Amino acid sequence: MTNAREISVEYLARVEGEGSMRVKVVDDKIEHVEFSIFEPPRFFEAFMRGRPHTEAPDITARICGICPVAYQMSSVHAMEDAFGVTVGGSLRELRRLLYCGEWIESHALHIYLLHAPDFLGYESGIHMAADHREVVEQGLRLKKVGNSIVGLVGGREIHPINVRVAGFYRTPTKRELETLVPELEWARDAAAETIRFVGGFTFPDVDQDFEFVSLSHPDEYPFNEGRIVSSKGLDLPISEFNEFFVEQHVDRSNALHSQIRERGAYHVGPLARYALNFEKLTPFAQEMAVEAGLGPVVTNPFKSIVVRAVEVLYAVEESLRIIDSYESPPEPYVEYTAFESEGHGATEAPRGLLYHRYRIHGDGRIADAQIVPPTAQNQLTIESDLRVVLEQHLDLPDDELSWVLEQSIRNYDPCISCATHFLDLTVERG
Amino acid sequence: MADVVVIGVGNRMMGDDAVGPIVIDRLAGRLPETVSLIESVGDATHLLDSWRDARLTVVVDAVVSGGVPGSIHRIDGKEGFPSSWRSASTHLIGVVEAIDLGGAVDMMPDELVVYGIEIDKVEPGVVLAREIDAAADKVVEMIAAELAVVRSP
Repeated sequence: MTNAREISVEYLARVEGEGSMRVKVVDDKIEHVEFSIFEPPRFFEAFMRGRPHTEAPDITARICGICPVAYQMSSVHAMEDAFGVTVGGSLRELRRLLYCGEWIESHALHIYLLHAPDFLGYESGIHMAADHREVVEQGLRLKKVGNSIVGLVGGREIHPINVRVAGFYRTPTKRELETLVPELEWARDAAAETIRFVGGFTFPDVDQDFEFVSLSHPDEYPFNEGRIVSSKGLDLPISEFNEFFVEQHVDRSNALHSQIRERGAYHVGPLARYALNFEKLTPFAQEMAVEAGLGPVVTNPFKSIVVRAVEVLYAVEESLRIIDSYESPPEPYVEYTAFESEGHGATEAPRGLLYHRYRIHGDGRIADAQIVPPTAQNQLTIESDLRVVLEQHLDLPDDELSWVLEQSIRNYDPCISCATHFLDLTVERG
Repeated sequence: MADVVVIGVGNRMMGDDAVGPIVIDRLAGRLPETVSLIESVGDATHLLDSWRDARLTVVVDAVVSGGVPGSIHRIDGKEGFPSSWRSASTHLIGVVEAIDLGGAVDMMPDELVVYGIEIDKVEPGVVLAREIDAAADKVVEMIAAELAVVRSP
């Protein structure tokens, strides 16, 4: 007799609509695994055509409420690449500081309110708050430290408005930045505590042979600049992204999947950055990672929560360093002239590499735009993880199996993870 | 922190989901100076920070509960929310979750009123549907009337 189990997790049709997971098991053999996500931001690409290139940072910032800075940064770097503009000194440092703020807020939200509940057996962060109020409060306070940085440097906490091509509209004074220091000093201890806290969780035993892809810079843990490198030998300038990476159809799905040409799935995000840039972390962040039991390369995707916590500590220490050495720049932005050109930008969003490409008309309007977000790049890898996790946990009843599969998806902090409280689970048995 | 805050939740690039921020735009200059107007994408932690020290908070958000698009719900926070309510704000922990979380960690304003404007669906776009646009005008009048009589305690 055939015994078929089907698990499908559909997300309520919201903005991005199609985020869902479908799994079919027949006689303990996996027949089908499919993880779909929202369409990449095609609307925004189309919307920008014909608009002034100076609007790209503000428009793309609205693609994601949780990582507007990443979209702004990739877009301004692409424009600056197109027009041969170099932004250095204090302006460059301010961009790093702004990015630190976004990593802190995004990672803190994910660690404390979205992912920790999976490990501790709570349906959500709200349920967890009933038993662990002080933990949730610590997460909220840590996140607020990130919000404050984004608010001060970006002009507003959500949808920052102070970023422009070639710099900022207004730069903060040193005195203004120094107001952030006391909470950042608290956050350094809180981040170290967070690493100990999440390092003590129990992790499903999964070990994957990922091809990690991230930016790499000779002197710093990457945010805004560097070459695109991989753990299996890729090393290319950002401008060659489309020569090595491609979105292709795969047999089982209608959606396009990002792949390395003629090679397949790859992994972007904290695990990739960490594996490819471990030695660029601050000594304290490295020390805490080791104390939490991490080696310099982590191949268990469930341990991404610990790596995120390590990155929070790094971002807090980097913020303190930048504020300490900051001197107000003479001008808030660099003068430049637009001309017909093409530019590429890639930066490290909290969830991983975010690539933008723009072609610009001679009058400075956008001719066309391409945006490749990190979650789209991780889609194939998420499916591959689901397969492994499924094989290891076939003996679990459907509800527990579904739990560990969802937890596995959240290892990637996909943009849809915030919507998981709308999960509508259907289980069918043959 | 202001005594009274009005928070418009939504994403301006997501069609009818923009109705919260648009209500905020239209309220500008219509309310006593002590009222602060805040735009939010609906991130629960941002909402908690925006309202935790306020005496009265008014939230305006798009909702999808199966009702007629453009219909307006006004809900007093003390009464709780219908189970059919799903805040339509784009893909963050939303308003209803923020209220639950705020209750759990004691970060709620003294009084909370939520205006929900029923929308059909959320999809990218920069223009409100006509019935949603009209509902936004109505909500602006309702909030202006409600807050015109607010006096300091």
